[in-house]
Formats: sequence, structure tokens, C-alpha cells
Amino acid sequence: MMKELVPGFTTEFPGVKVDVQDVGNPAIWDKITTGLAAGGQGLADVLHIGVDYLPAYIEKFPGGLADLNTLGAAKHKDMFAPGLWETVSRDGKVYALPWEANSAGFYYRADLFERAGVDGEALQNWDEVIEAGVKLKEKTGVRLLAIDKAATQADSANLFQCLMQLQDSFYFDMQGNITLDSPAAVTAMTIIKKLNDAGLVADQGGGWNTMIGLIKKGGVAVQPMPTWFGGIIADTVPAEKGKWKVRLPPPVTAGGKVSALVNSTHLAVAGSSENQAAAFAFAEYVLTRPESQVHIYKGKGIAPALLAAYDDPVFHQPSPFFSGQKMGEIFLDSLRQPSYVTNYSADYPRALKLVDDAQSKVLLQGADPATVLRQAAEQLANQTGRKVVR
Amino acid sequence: MTLRARALAPYLFILPAVALFATFKLYPIVWSFLLSLFRTEGTVQSFAGPANYARLVNDALFWTALGNTGVILVVQVPIMLILAGALALAFDSALLRLRSVVRLGFFLPIVTGPVAYGLLFAVLLNPQSGLVNWLIGVDVPWLSDKFWARIALGLALTWHYVGYNAMIFLSRLQSLPRDQYDAAAVDGAGTWRSFWHVTLPGLRPVVLLTVVMSTIGTLQLFDEPYVLTRGGPDNALLTLGLYLYENGFRYFDFGYASAIAYALAVVIALLGVVQFRVLRDKT
Amino acid sequence: MKRVMLTSVMLLAVTAMVGPFYWLVVGATHSSAEVFGSPPPLLPGGHLLDNLAHLQETVGFGRTILNSLLISGLYTVLAGAVCALAGYGFAVYDFRGKEALFGLLMLGLVIPGQVTLVPLFKMMMAWGWLNTYQAIILPNLALPFGVFLMRQTMSAMPRELLAAGRADGCGELRLFVRVALPPMRPALAALAIYLFLYQWNDFVWPLIALRTTDAYTIPLAIASQTGATDTDYGAILAGTAVAAIPMAVLFLFLQRHFVSGLLAGAVKE
Repeated sequence: MMKELVPGFTTEFPGVKVDVQDVGNPAIWDKITTGLAAGGQGLADVLHIGVDYLPAYIEKFPGGLADLNTLGAAKHKDMFAPGLWETVSRDGKVYALPWEANSAGFYYRADLFERAGVDGEALQNWDEVIEAGVKLKEKTGVRLLAIDKAATQADSANLFQCLMQLQDSFYFDMQGNITLDSPAAVTAMTIIKKLNDAGLVADQGGGWNTMIGLIKKGGVAVQPMPTWFGGIIADTVPAEKGKWKVRLPPPVTAGGKVSALVNSTHLAVAGSSENQAAAFAFAEYVLTRPESQVHIYKGKGIAPALLAAYDDPVFHQPSPFFSGQKMGEIFLDSLRQPSYVTNYSADYPRALKLVDDAQSKVLLQGADPATVLRQAAEQLANQTGRKVVR
Repeated sequence: MTLRARALAPYLFILPAVALFATFKLYPIVWSFLLSLFRTEGTVQSFAGPANYARLVNDALFWTALGNTGVILVVQVPIMLILAGALALAFDSALLRLRSVVRLGFFLPIVTGPVAYGLLFAVLLNPQSGLVNWLIGVDVPWLSDKFWARIALGLALTWHYVGYNAMIFLSRLQSLPRDQYDAAAVDGAGTWRSFWHVTLPGLRPVVLLTVVMSTIGTLQLFDEPYVLTRGGPDNALLTLGLYLYENGFRYFDFGYASAIAYALAVVIALLGVVQFRVLRDKT
Repeated sequence: MKRVMLTSVMLLAVTAMVGPFYWLVVGATHSSAEVFGSPPPLLPGGHLLDNLAHLQETVGFGRTILNSLLISGLYTVLAGAVCALAGYGFAVYDFRGKEALFGLLMLGLVIPGQVTLVPLFKMMMAWGWLNTYQAIILPNLALPFGVFLMRQTMSAMPRELLAAGRADGCGELRLFVRVALPPMRPALAALAIYLFLYQWNDFVWPLIALRTTDAYTIPLAIASQTGATDTDYGAILAGTAVAAIPMAVLFLFLQRHFVSGLLAGAVKE
């Protein structure tokens, strides 16, 4: 998708040669990591980095990513969705420009909900969601949602993480202390456990292909997935046009938050790059021009962090697949909310692994949420030397 | 040729290997050992002495990984080698004419690299839409249950390596001198006794060869569990190789990763020395 | 009766061995969606060319195959020479420091490969060797298992043969090439297959040292098809099937020697 923007860029910046590399997702981390570990050299000029790894790269490889403020990034500060600038900056320096911004969403089979006599829009909290799920299963035989119970993929605890973020909480607090067994975390994990104990959770071990398979089979009624996933559902089951609806996730407790920025990706410039100015110009071309972002959205359904891009009519059209709802606007409303700034911290990969393991224990062995989270928090403290705050 | 030149000759023969090894293995190995004495977070380093090794002792995941590796070593390797031996015996007695076809059949698994066959098994064992569950008509939770995930890894490893080992057994069997069997037959030994007294001792050297090779392979196991489940569920397939990799290339903790590597090397060396001794004494 | 049982057991074994491989070929000819269809496909489909075209489009698979062939071929020849020379040196001569040097090389068998990744990467970068063939080929030329195998094989050689050669005034290198090597053909064939296979399938080091798609080897190209979202299993299976062809051909040609050579080396009487 980025490749398609290259010709336009080179006409505007003649003399700059752009080579976009496709590296498989797991593979890209190895490449960037070894490059940074070896003093930041041998890297591409522009790097595509997710929010999960960005803090680790910033903290553990000082100088690995260029300070974009020196290249004039400051002027873009207010262009992006709230909360994102904090994510890419650290101690007065800016290490990346935001690319995609995904808000928590809740896609559901409106036809099945209707058959079960449940109004999806009316769900006020997750207890009601569980109640609805039980009715749904009785009336239609379909389970509410699916989780990769064995955590075969790193992102298996997405729902848990999202439920924490809806409570303005995360694995780390802003000071970098561990809050993995906070009351909010236990609440979130307990919801997951209740869903599972009520028999509402299908297993999607194996990740992506299993998830797509389940959607095709009509195996689950809800996909608690972020912005970008809408297009995937529409592509997977085009015949179910009009049967799906989308809303923001029900709050954890009635009246609570429904908006959460659950992930974002960014373009950074390697500190070792000899063409930092040109590299930054390319990142600017892709990320700060609404036309570029609209083009990418139309092609791949990737939701821009760039707010100006949303002026394009494409975000305000009713979506026939989602029963005529204006999907773009629903997520835009969420994106405009003041966002809880999530501190992923440099140890997010470790935390994520422990969360995955804890969730597997709850789902597969019926373990107690508070216990497994406390163990995970202690193990994380042991591994990282961070303090657990309770 | 002068005597001096002749005295120099062996050094010249081994020079390329030793020089290359020193540059590309020994030097990085020493470098890496120094690294294991540092607390590293990416490029941020501070000298820590044996702190990383002390961390190992208290790290539950390290012991889990060691235990998993041990289980594979004690369960999967013997089963695979016995299976390989049985296959070799079966084919030795019967299918001599089809030998090259059989050999190719056995060799096919090994030509698919670890990443490739790992992905292949992940597809075949997919619980919802994989071929295996469809064929047996039961929804076995391959890869999503601790027990079944271990079985799945065992199946994949066995599929990949059993034919290779069977070939080694087979050609050893066929090189065993026939007159020993004849002598045993003259003594009135039955099939079972001649197997026990002639075949088995004859196989001994290859048993040790395959045991050593499988042990080293198992201890460094990485690609297959990584591709199948990333080491899960709940660390059921976490191997030492995988844990080392995660610490180095996921968590950027190169010092700790190096310490794991050295712990692993000690384990391999100990097992290797024992097995090597036995192999050498007998041959 | 016994025969029938034996035959059916063997048929079952061969089916179990060949089955997954057969399905790999089947999967290679289907689209990713069909691969995960229900029921799964059992017969070849018509998607092979599309899958290969996809590989060609995304990573330049033709170039990838060429890279793999060149790297593995060169590596096999060079590493074969290095290992044979060293094996011969260790096997037929007695010299100071012999066991110490050999022990040092065998250290490579026990130290896990992952240990050397970061230092090796820093070295390659300092020399400007990233993304080059030599970065892949050189580090593993002195493969400990290869040296071990060659030493074991060569030590079976009758010393009288060498002594006779020396008496005729034959130089040491000539002796190696003319007298020692020819009877070693099976062992060399075994070594060649082993080395080729090793390099052909090696994953982690090339992943780190090769930076752009035009330098990729086959395992990298295959792995690059697994995205966070849409993994193209059709393309992966097609690439895997194609990657197996050269190995299968090589094996067909050298198979007679492979196992006997491996045995001759590792099992001394």
C-alpha cells in the first residue's frame, strides 16, 4: 500500500530513491532489533513500528531512532488524534509520526441478536453482554465471541487489554510501575472468566485463519475488534451484507467509557540513516497529507491517525454492509475523545507474554483471575526490576 | 620434500578450518560470554558480574524450558529412534527391491525445512479446518491444550526425523555380515535370539550416533515450537532455544540471553561428553 | 499371515511419511481460502501458478531461488573442501596441539547457534558485508559436524597407502588429492548432501544478515508471507513444495552414497 505512494513522492522529491521492503511481520522485529543492537546501523531509513514495540526501541536503544523534532516534526503535533503525540514523544523528543489509529469496536451479527430478542445497541455493561450471550446461545446456538485460548499468537489477550483500557488502566502506570494485578485488571479478567464459564467463548487457536474460518462458518456473533477489522469482515462474508452492525464496546460498568485507542502504528527514522531529511520527508508525505491517508484507507481500510483525513467523504458514507451505519463516523467519534495515554513501557513484550499465559490458565484450567494476575505481576517485577503498585 | 615442510603440512591442512572457526565462531562466542556478565537493555549496558546467572536460578520460565526440553529428550527421542529401528528392520527383511523408492519416501520429510514443515503441520493440525481432525472425525484440540500440543510437536518432529534415522539404521543392518546370522542359525538360535544376540549388538554404534545427533538437535530446538505455537499454550512447548531467543530478540536482554546460552551449552556439553565417551569406547 | 501384517504395517508407515508431503503438494495448488476450506482439499487444484505468481510479485521468487541455489552450491563446495582438508589433517597426522585444536572445533557443536548472532552481525556490519553472499557462506564454512565426519572417515584410511605415496616422492597435497580423496567419494557425497541441506534450510542467520528482498533465500521468502493479518498459506505451501525439488533431485543422484557415507564416517569398526 505504501508502495503505491512512491511514484507521487518521487515526482515531488526528485533525486530521492525509495525502496519499500516487505518483511513478514514476525521477521521485521528481528531485523529492526538486530540492526538497533548493532549500534543502529544496517537499518532501513524509515521504519514501521507498532505501539507495542516503540517504547522499547526508544528506551533500550538510545539514538537508535532519530529525534524528529530536529527535522521539524513539532509542526504536526496537533494534526493527530488525541493521545498519540504523547505516545511518540519522550522527554521533549519525538521519535515517530503516527500512522494508523485503531479504536476499540464491537461488531455484531444484528440478525442473530434480533432472533434472540436482544438489542445490541442497548447493552450498558459487560454483565448485560454476558446475559445477552446466554440468550443468544439458547436461541441460536451461536457462541458470543472467540478467544485464542491457548495464546498461540501474541495478541491473544486483546479483549482483556481493551477491557482494561476502557477503565483507563493498563499493565503499567505512567511512572512505569506494574499495575498488572490492579482491581481494574482483575475486573477485566473476571469478565473474561465469566464469559468462558457461561460457555460463550469459542476457541480460535491458531490465530488469523481460524478467526476468519469462524466468521465464515457463522460460529460467533461478536467480534470485539478495532477499527481496521470492519473491512475484513465485509471482505470475508460479503453475503452477510446488512446482517452486521457495529458499535463502540459497552462500558465495563454502566456509564463508563466506551472509547479506547487500542493500538497505533508509526513511521520512525533510523538514527543511523544518512538521509534523515529525505526519510522524514517521505514519512511526512505518507502520514501528514490527507490524500495519502485517504488513498491507503480506500485500499486497505487502515484508519488514519491524521484527523484531517477524515474530512474526506469516504468516512461519512453509510456502509451497506453494516446495515447502513456510518462506520467511519462511529470510530471518528471515539478517536476524537480525550484518550487515556497508555504507557506500554519498554517491557510490554514481557508483560504481554505473562498476560497471555495468565489468560490461558484462566480459560483452560479455570484458574482464579486475581491469583494468576498476582503471579504474573510478581514474575514481571522479578524479570524487570520494576515495582508492583497495588 | 624436507622434513620441516612435512611437519608443517598438518597445520596447513587444518588452517582454513581453524582460522574460519576462530574468526566466525570462537570470537563471537567469547564476545557473547563477556556480554553474559552485563546487564543489558538493548544498547544500554552495565557490568553485572554473575547477576544474570543468579537470575537463571530463580527464573521459573527457565526451569520450565529446561523441563520441556528434558521431556522431549526422554520421551520423543527414544520413541522416534525405536520407531526408526522397527521401520528399518521391517524394510530390511522385506522390501529390498523397492529400496530406493522407500528411501526417497523417508527422505522427503527432511527436504522440507523446519520453518516450512512447522507451518505445514500448523495447517494440518488446525483444530477447526485442519485435515487431520477432518480425517479422524474428532475435534482434537491440537495446539490449544498443553498435553495435545506436546503430542503435536512430537508428531511433527517424529515425522521429520524418523525416516532419516531409519535410513541410517537400514544401511547399517544391510552391512552386517550375513555369516553371523548363519552361525547363529547353526547354533539353533531362533529369530528372536538372533535379533537379540546379533542384530542388536551390530546396531549399537548407529544407535549411539543417532542418539548423539538427536540430543544436540533437541537441545537447540527452536523453529518447530516457534512456528507451531510460539512455545505455548502456557509455555507447554517453551524450549531453551526459544526462551533464549525471546530474551534476546523480543526483550532485548542480550546479556541474559547469553547467560541462557551458556547454561544450555553446559548441558549439551555434559550430555555430549557422556554420549561421546560411550560411542568412542565401543568403536 | 505374518507377511500380510508386515506389508500392511509398512504401507501404513510409508503413507504416514508421504501423506503430509502429498498434502503439501495439494495445498500448493490451492488458494489460501481453499486450503482452509471444509472439507479440506484432497486433490490438486488449479492455483499453483497463481500462488507462484504471488510469490514472484511480493518477493521476486525467481531471484530467491537463484540466490538459494548459488549460496547453497558455493557453500557446499567450499565447506566440503574446508572440512575434508581439516578432517584429513586431523586423521592422518600426529602433531602438537592436535587434540586441543580438534576439541576447540567440537566446541561449535555444543554452543547454541543463537549465541553468536549479535556479535556476528556487528562484525558483518563493520566489514560492510550485510546483504552479501559471503556474509551467509563464510561463518559456517568450518562446520564442526563436517570436520568430525571427515576425520572419522579418513582415519579409516590405510596408512601404508600414504607411506607408499610418500616413498614415490609424492607431495602432501598431491597425496591428499590423488590417494586419499578418491576412495572417500561416498563420504563426500554424504557430506555434500548434509551441507547443502543445512544451508538450504538455514533460517535465522540469513534472516538477520540479508536485508533486502532481492538477496532473500527461500526460507526467508516463505516466512515473509506470514503477516500479522493475512498469511497466504497457498503461497507458503507452493514455495515450500518448489523448495523441496532441488533437494529431492540432489538426493536422488547421491542417495546411494548418502547413508553409507554417513555411516562410514561416524561408525568405525
